[in-house]
Amino acid sequence: MAQILLRNITRASNSTLLTTSRIGPSPLTIPAVAAANSLSQQLHTTSPCCEIRKLARLRVVDNSDLGKRAMAEGRPPRCIHVYNKRGVGLIGDKVLVAIKGQMKKGILVGLKQKQRLKQPQFDSNNLVLIDDNGSPLGTRIHVPIPTVLRTILKEKTLSKGADYTKVLAIASRYV
Amino acid sequence: MNVNARFLTNRIAQQCAYKRIVTFSTKPTEQSAAAAVPQQQQQQQHDAVAPPVRKPIVPAHYRFVYPEFLPDPKVEWRNSIREKLERLDMLNRRRQIELPEFYVGSILAVTSSDPHAAGKTSRFVGICIHRERCGLRARFILRNVIDHQGIEIVYELYDPTIQKVEVLRLEKRLDDSLFYLRDALPEFSTFDEHMEAETLEEGTPVPINELKVVLRPRPWLERWERQNLRGVANIDQYLKDKHRKSSEKVQKPWEKYDLMKQYRATIPEEEQKEIFAEVHTELHTLELQRKRNKRKRTFVKPKHLA
Amino acid sequence: MNQADVSKLMSQLRIAVRSNKRNLKNPDGPEGRLLKLRKTVTALVKHERIELFYNRADEARGYAELLISNAIRHGDRHKATMELADYWLLEKQLVHKLFKVLVPRYENYNVSYTRMFKAPRDYPGIYYRKSVLELRGNPYPVLTQDNSQNRNLLHNVLLDEARKEFRREKLASLANKLAAETEETPKPTVEKATEV
Repeated sequence: MAQILLRNITRASNSTLLTTSRIGPSPLTIPAVAAANSLSQQLHTTSPCCEIRKLARLRVVDNSDLGKRAMAEGRPPRCIHVYNKRGVGLIGDKVLVAIKGQMKKGILVGLKQKQRLKQPQFDSNNLVLIDDNGSPLGTRIHVPIPTVLRTILKEKTLSKGADYTKVLAIASRYV
Repeated sequence: MNVNARFLTNRIAQQCAYKRIVTFSTKPTEQSAAAAVPQQQQQQQHDAVAPPVRKPIVPAHYRFVYPEFLPDPKVEWRNSIREKLERLDMLNRRRQIELPEFYVGSILAVTSSDPHAAGKTSRFVGICIHRERCGLRARFILRNVIDHQGIEIVYELYDPTIQKVEVLRLEKRLDDSLFYLRDALPEFSTFDEHMEAETLEEGTPVPINELKVVLRPRPWLERWERQNLRGVANIDQYLKDKHRKSSEKVQKPWEKYDLMKQYRATIPEEEQKEIFAEVHTELHTLELQRKRNKRKRTFVKPKHLA
Repeated sequence: MNQADVSKLMSQLRIAVRSNKRNLKNPDGPEGRLLKLRKTVTALVKHERIELFYNRADEARGYAELLISNAIRHGDRHKATMELADYWLLEKQLVHKLFKVLVPRYENYNVSYTRMFKAPRDYPGIYYRKSVLELRGNPYPVLTQDNSQNRNLLHNVLLDEARKEFRREKLASLANKLAAETEETPKPTVEKATEV
């Protein structure tokens, strides 16, 4: 299952990279992209620093129905807002994603970006979907998540009021 | 008279522990050129008379085993006192914990204390894909694929929170850094977490694993075709003519002849000898101690079972 | 804080080394720079003393030193060193000179193998500083002034004084001897007067 997902991701990113390299940043090409509707949905706007900003594409790693279907279709969710003051998502941050035409919230549980010492850096940007109260939509996370999330999510639960620690409860493995 | 004065300074320099601060030798005086040959003869006589100063013989492979003891060759960043203090600190740390010999391509297991983890410790097994920095800042990157998810962790070698570093398989690979594993098929960086440590017989050279990894198709994180990698099997199948042309364009075949570039990137042999002479005895005793302990442990084990 | 490269081992240079290289402007980039320096190193090994711009001489000096030190270190049986010599010496008979003449000459040196002097630049002329680069032990007359005969050199002053003192002492002892002799046998004054 996970391998299928991975393959999907690589395929999607493959085509997007091709489009970005072909199109470039010039404004003239925007109508062309709009015309090729399927291409525009896979347009990759994240810079190579792998930051989670608006329009960054993420990978859902829980077994929620919505997330599974989105990943299987090869249309991974995109970040449309990061709930912090930096605008760049760090580990444990809450993001708003557009997934299959819906807006859902999610928590970042693994990043591609450079991490601190002894904290794992993942090969993909992982996301767990949650509802407004902070309880996850799925029942299991099928990849390891970093242990530092325990502390971060507990702190956030205290400060934000919503209970994020339920995400920790469905984790299968820590790294 | 002049010659005598130089003898004195030589003697003092030999006794002085902080022998030199600059990386390069100072400019020789003009008289010394003329006196070079006769002075040497005299020096030989002098050495024959004086009791020879015994210095520990440093094995030649130390620079591969302990590369972090050599400072950064960049002259602007050199500071002999800081380097010396760092070496002392590194030795102190090595007295507390065994930091074994390992190379890029070896498989390590690092146990470190982690305030966030359940048991307050976490253990990570992975292949070392890169070693960098020197002195107390020496660090390495471990990579593994767990549950089909590639994970990399950066550890500092002299981090006081590290509890144990085990080498599960001691070997080298064909390249100096293995960042291409990120773009290779996941099975090439998948290692069992409960791997048993494989022991090498004493005195055998570190084996070189000539495994060639299989890359997955583009897009890649880096332009591997430009890096003359030896450990990649199938790079040709993903290359188009434009890639070959561009990679030819960036090749620098003259760099192997650029002696001064190499000189500025290395620490000269004399200086290496000085540095390792300073730490050699301590490192050697530590090695012997570890070896003895290991033998003791292997001897105790069957007793315990019986 | 990068790790030093341990794959290569080089012996320490006995000259002051700049922390970074000079680019020695040329349209061919780093390869062209090396070609320029190869010409200089070849000329240095061939003529043993050359006059050229300071920057180029200073850059070439390090390469020449390392080439010689590598040749001394590994000898002519070492393949990599031979390749180096082949690259750096554009005239191939100079490879023989390097291994058969320069290596024996410099084997026991404990100073640098080359010397560099600042040379005067002609006025009005090109602005660049000039210099003279030479191999040590060359057959030409020395360029530096020989100051060992200078009267004001401290050694010479001391030697002069010592000499003077020695002479004074000798004279005094002679005078004493003469005085003793005259006391024993007074000279006939008449004879002396006739001589004068």
